[in-house]
Amino acid sequence: MFIAFCVLLIMTVTLMTIAYRRGDGSLVRGLKAGRGMLMGTIPLFLLAFPLAGLIQVAIPADLIRSWLGQEAGWNGIFIGSIAGTLIPGGPYVAFPIIAAIINTGASIGTAVAFITGWAMLTIMQMPYELTFIGIRFMTIRIISMLIVPPIAGIAAQWLFGGGF
Amino acid sequence: MRKTLIGMGIAVVMLCVITFMQGGWTLLGNGLFLGGRIFVTVIPLIIVAFTLAGMISILVSEEVVSRLLGKEAGLKGILLASVAGAVIPGGPFIFYPIAATLLVSGAEIGAAISFVAAKVLWTVSRLPVEVALLGPKITFIRYGVTFIFPILVGLAANALFSGHTVRIREEIRLLQRSDKA
Repeated sequence: MFIAFCVLLIMTVTLMTIAYRRGDGSLVRGLKAGRGMLMGTIPLFLLAFPLAGLIQVAIPADLIRSWLGQEAGWNGIFIGSIAGTLIPGGPYVAFPIIAAIINTGASIGTAVAFITGWAMLTIMQMPYELTFIGIRFMTIRIISMLIVPPIAGIAAQWLFGGGF
Repeated sequence: MRKTLIGMGIAVVMLCVITFMQGGWTLLGNGLFLGGRIFVTVIPLIIVAFTLAGMISILVSEEVVSRLLGKEAGLKGILLASVAGAVIPGGPFIFYPIAATLLVSGAEIGAAISFVAAKVLWTVSRLPVEVALLGPKITFIRYGVTFIFPILVGLAANALFSGHTVRIREEIRLLQRSDKA
């Protein structure tokens, strides 16, 4: 988180310096544009965070663990893809949960489907997406990506897991 | 904007009820506290992210964004957006505002989808954490088999949903009502 903050800060300061050097009020206009975007989305923001927190406690990791259990083959890949979307939180929260589930004996295909499902389609990110881009983009994005976690799982199982 | 607000409000209320039924006041309190804690820890990130989005919207002209990431850019735009997605750090409260800015400035739907897909699949900043917590074998297999998808989903989105780009831009402008300046 801290590194992310530093990298973003450097990018922002660089752009601010470029804007300042232009000497045509670009800096002030850029800051105003940023503030405008933030102010416009604040009401949604105030809902997005409690939503994210509640999703995190409402879906117990134990439940997902028991779903996946020893599932392998095609079942594992499809259940893994869906279960991945329900895993809460950013990488520091999600990866230990994912590791625990993988360690229960899931196959490589299941593991990859599961991680890809979490990365691409986690419901945790949807409140933010709704807030900043809206439902039309989100729907199109989900439709475009829906097929990826199972395909990735099948490819991993085929290439690296000795097939089905 | 209002519809989104109402929809999210309903989702919050429903989740409050679900959480309460599962674990009473304690679990409900935990969830709300967790949300509040995420909010407090990401405030500095949010301020920087919106400053960055604002600077991009002013410094990078619509002409440039359209040329690099717009309809005419095609595959090149998708590749460029994917690389941008891979290097941008931070969570959804960072990359969604930036994706919104790019869309409003003239990026095509496929480029925006590729940007998000590369962010979640290729992201450079997550690689060390993934190796550390899941092990190198699974991580490299996972990166390997998903490598092509940011490009493929962008191409698919352009082919299937190109007509929606204008409506998406309108929707973003409505969400950020004070962005008209």
